[in-house]
Amino acid sequence: MSTVDPALLHAFVDGELDLKSQLEMEQRLAGDPALRQRVEEIRLLRHEIREHAGYHAAPETLRTRVAALRSAAGDAPPSAAPSGVPTPTAASKAGRTIAWGRWLQWRPLAVGLGAAAVVALALQLAGPPPSRDEAIAAEVVASHVRSTLGQHLVDVASSDHHTVKPWYAGRLDYSPPVYDLTSTGFPLLGGRLDVIDGRKVAVLVYRRNQHKLALSLWPAPVYTTPGRPGSTRTMPIS
Amino acid sequence: MSDEESWRRFEAVALPHLDAAYNLARWLTRNDHDAEDVVQESLVRAMRYLGGFRGEGARPWLLQIVRNTCWTWLKANRPAENVGLDDGDGPAHDIAAPAADEPPQVAMRRADRALIDQAIAALPAAFREVLVLRELEDLSYAEIARIAEIPIGTVMSRLARARAQLRSALAPAAARPVLRPVPKVAQNGGPP
Repeated sequence: MSTVDPALLHAFVDGELDLKSQLEMEQRLAGDPALRQRVEEIRLLRHEIREHAGYHAAPETLRTRVAALRSAAGDAPPSAAPSGVPTPTAASKAGRTIAWGRWLQWRPLAVGLGAAAVVALALQLAGPPPSRDEAIAAEVVASHVRSTLGQHLVDVASSDHHTVKPWYAGRLDYSPPVYDLTSTGFPLLGGRLDVIDGRKVAVLVYRRNQHKLALSLWPAPVYTTPGRPGSTRTMPIS
Repeated sequence: MSDEESWRRFEAVALPHLDAAYNLARWLTRNDHDAEDVVQESLVRAMRYLGGFRGEGARPWLLQIVRNTCWTWLKANRPAENVGLDDGDGPAHDIAAPAADEPPQVAMRRADRALIDQAIAALPAAFREVLVLRELEDLSYAEIARIAEIPIGTVMSRLARARAQLRSALAPAAARPVLRPVPKVAQNGGPP
């Protein structure tokens, strides 16, 4: 077997080689079964680690401490030295400001996020001018982040769209489309109400593997989308 | 900017990556309580540096702060780890016997997890951080280089060595057909 820098072999498996080195490596692999075997081993190991290594999500106690930082930021100049442990006063103060609770298990998966970003972008292109869009997007994101900090992920927790859809009747001046997407790998977790851009909107929360997606739905104002009444805009996050 | 505004910006930029921050700190300190301390201090620093954040790559930006805070903390509290030599002669992989009512698949997964976690924890910290950033945070070599403040070539070599060590640690116990056992000597090759 020819000698190959192991670092290059790993970079090859990670898809991190530039095109020229990538092609060279492929050529070497084609003529070297032992090298191919090593590449397979690296792939397997990589898979095992990604599949099984423990991911440590931030615990509840840390979130309580983050909440304490907020009141600390309000009380002291921002350059104040960090205190090792929040005082009970600070913690209880923060407790009044926001009820912090469980956060989503956000295990970042670049592929999933990338896809979500592309969808969001594509849908945004069809929407009103960017400045207002950005403001609305910021509102949606902020609302989503807040919902994941507190325990207010959904108002109605149900995986049945026949339960969720009627729940909105009488709470909204429109009826949001609620679909059962379980068969495509997006089980419904429930729905909640939110206020975006000055109006009440329906937020449906779906799950995709370990990720949760919030889908905010409201009818587009007629004047911004001539000829396309009743379109909805979506904003997948996390 | 008012306190309320800066908190909102902080909330939007940094807090979505709290799990990533804790995961890195937890793997570097290998202790729940210390990881929380480190993340809290990192967030205080992040708030202070928020004005310098340019709006792109919030996760690598925050992780760089967490990483630096971790190393400062390790230097102060675990000076022995800075030589980067974890002898790896600790307790052998002792895995809890699976409960009888556990399906074999689940038991296998738990065994795998414990083994792999143990093997990663035994890596020298400089290797461990590169591996965690790559495999658990799925960051690119360029992003890891920026976070760890090392050249991309060093990211490559550390990652290759980290994986080689994991492979030797995992191969004999797990008896995987493809991962051949490697002589124990290979485990003792520390970083330069």
